[in-house]
Amino acid sequence: MSSLLRFVSLALMAAALIGSPGDSLAQSYPHKPIHLIVPYAPGGGMDILARLIGQKLHESLKQPVIIDNRPGAGGTIGTGIAAKAAPDGYTIVMVISAHATNPSLYKKLPYDAVKDFAPITQVVSFPFLLVVNPSLPAKSVTELIALAKSKPGRLNFSSSGTGGGTHLSGELFKTMAGVDMVHVAYKGSAPALTALLGGEVPMMFSDPLVTLPQVKAGKIRALAWTSAKRSPQLSEVPTVAESGVPGYEVNGWQGILAPAGTPREIIDKLNAEILKVLQMADVKERLSSQAMEPVGSSPEQFAALIQAEIVKWGKVIKDCGARID
Amino acid sequence: MMDILNNLTLGFGVALTPMNLLYCLFGVTLGTLIGVLPGIGPIATIAMLLPVTFGLPAVGALIMLAGIYYGAQYGGSTTAILINIPGEASAAVTCLDGYAMARQGRAGPALAIAAMGSFFAGCVATIIVALFAPPLAEVALKFWAAEYFSLMLLGLVSATVLARGSLLKAIAMVILGLLLGLVGTDVTSGTLRFTFGIAEFSDGIGFVAVAMGLFGFAEVIVNLTQGGKREVLTSKISGLMPTRADLKTSWKAVLRGTGLGSLLGILPGGGALLSSFASYTLEKRLAAVPSRFGKGAIEGVAGPEAANNAGAQTSFIPMLTLGIPSNAVMALMLGAMMIQGIAPGPQVIDKLPQLFWGMIASMWMGNIMLLVINLPLIGIWVRMLTMPYQMLYPAILLFCCIGAYSINYSSVDVLSTAGFGLLGYIFYILDCEPAPLLLGFILGPMMEESLRRAMLISQGDPTVFFTRPISLAMLIGAALLLLLVIVPAARKKREEVFRE
Repeated sequence: MSSLLRFVSLALMAAALIGSPGDSLAQSYPHKPIHLIVPYAPGGGMDILARLIGQKLHESLKQPVIIDNRPGAGGTIGTGIAAKAAPDGYTIVMVISAHATNPSLYKKLPYDAVKDFAPITQVVSFPFLLVVNPSLPAKSVTELIALAKSKPGRLNFSSSGTGGGTHLSGELFKTMAGVDMVHVAYKGSAPALTALLGGEVPMMFSDPLVTLPQVKAGKIRALAWTSAKRSPQLSEVPTVAESGVPGYEVNGWQGILAPAGTPREIIDKLNAEILKVLQMADVKERLSSQAMEPVGSSPEQFAALIQAEIVKWGKVIKDCGARID
Repeated sequence: MMDILNNLTLGFGVALTPMNLLYCLFGVTLGTLIGVLPGIGPIATIAMLLPVTFGLPAVGALIMLAGIYYGAQYGGSTTAILINIPGEASAAVTCLDGYAMARQGRAGPALAIAAMGSFFAGCVATIIVALFAPPLAEVALKFWAAEYFSLMLLGLVSATVLARGSLLKAIAMVILGLLLGLVGTDVTSGTLRFTFGIAEFSDGIGFVAVAMGLFGFAEVIVNLTQGGKREVLTSKISGLMPTRADLKTSWKAVLRGTGLGSLLGILPGGGALLSSFASYTLEKRLAAVPSRFGKGAIEGVAGPEAANNAGAQTSFIPMLTLGIPSNAVMALMLGAMMIQGIAPGPQVIDKLPQLFWGMIASMWMGNIMLLVINLPLIGIWVRMLTMPYQMLYPAILLFCCIGAYSINYSSVDVLSTAGFGLLGYIFYILDCEPAPLLLGFILGPMMEESLRRAMLISQGDPTVFFTRPISLAMLIGAALLLLLVIVPAARKKREEVFRE
């Protein structure tokens, strides 16, 4: 190279290095693949959403987003691994609402659900769907409450696991509606759904991803949504709050966190990119078909949600005595 | 009838397109390969391929993934027979007589009968799926907790039949298996049991760790302590194909195995796994000379292999008709469907008939391809046995460790496998068999869960086990089986038969 050219290129490099560190950090990120830890087994609903987001982020960030499944212990193993990862923005974790209930369920966790993480954004929110086997005579929540009160301790509801959203929604319902129902736990949503379809257990506060196809095929009956507003997927089905239990609201959610100490610029950049993904038409369509609502909140809003959920469910868990120890 | 023919025509039209045939071929070949590799199974492979399915057409992707699953059942018997390591969990039972046959120089016939039995079972099971999928799915729904409990109890009682030697030791191993199965989180109360603070144990000890450790690692240790000389009589390999006598002995076993596997495969939660154990038990019970089992009885290979393949095919039924996965692999396939934007559920048959019938037709194609692939490979596998053990066993250990790690990317799994290898060696010294332990390990936790759930649902009423007809039938079967063991005359006959 001629010495003039070499001088110019050296000068340019020096200028680039001297330039504001914050800008260059955000601009150069990501320069290698990002690991998105999913603390659950591959193929499940939350894993599918993570893969969808990861795929779209790959397209926009031009770097692969590798899905790292680390299942086990109700999501705490994978979350724990993320908590200890380097806060350089190349390891992030997708969590579900269990992130806010695990601190109250487990005596000891390998991480602090609030202090060890820097929230990026809440990705989706979804309601639970109260469904019943057609053999149950109740056709509305009011009738259900009356039925439950007529045989206290003899009406069963199933869940996909102790301490999970499907269990705790039921416990909150018991407290707020003043009924005594028996919780029957299953290992996962597949056996719980089988039990519901076969009539072994008459009702469930279910994950709509799993039960919407069954409701649409007429195999089970939907009584109510647990959210504050009806979901457009079944707009003729009322909410629990509308049908006799005012103030009842349960929303499942999924969000992405980074380890605490991750630079603010990286968090903001990821937040912006994920928001863009959530605006895409095909993503919106896919999410709404599963009764999920894209949220895309700011890091502060997400942090506030997590705090609020920890408090709310902490009380429910203490009241019903659920624990994993 | 016309309906079925129309649907099958549609299905074959879909399955026989060049691209779908290629997907099928790729799937079954990959499935066979990973089935042969101990530890690395269809779950890890399908999970790794999930991102790839994003870009593939829906039917093609599902055909490929399905091929991997039932292809692995074919391949899993290979290592079970050759080196006593179950490549697939359901091939654990094949180790018992398959490996014994290999030690007698009869690895070829063992492998061949496994492939042929699997092919027959796969074809028949596919017909069953095509004709009876929706009603069979309804049968699965009738299995409540009480039925599961009685089924598990029947299974446990028949575990004693798995024993080759002392009955007392077999019972002790079953109970040890039950205890090991307790490790984990209790479903109802959320209590952690015997996890010793290790988070990875809160979902239980992995089955792969136990099976690979007890059968595979232990076998390696035993061979090494005997100076690295194995009893494989390399010069005595007597032919690669089964003799007429072999075929005559095994055809009924294959039929029974197919029937058993087809039925048990529908039940969500352990169908295919249970079916191979059940078939072995049945064959041993029905055999004229039960003492041959464990020493190279070919029915002990033919029956379970047919059963686990039939079970693998019919385990698609709950997923395709109801959208409910009956095991972890089906859950992954559901995930693949969701990635494609298909909502799995009862409407898939009606709204996407080309998917349902295309998959069924491709299962046939897949089984034919597998037979064509596996039979010629037998010569190669048998020749592999003649490799010096010093080169063979490090490869075995390496693949087992990779396989164990690939389940959860956790080193706890690898360490557990090693630990169970050591335990397996201790059992060998004490002359205890691992097979009953394995059965207790699988059935124990399911039995306990079903018992407590049945009692919870019936409000604490124990008569529920007797008032529900299917449950009652199985309990009667278990009682009869137990009587067979307890009644002195029968017992004396058992002792005579067991005296070696």
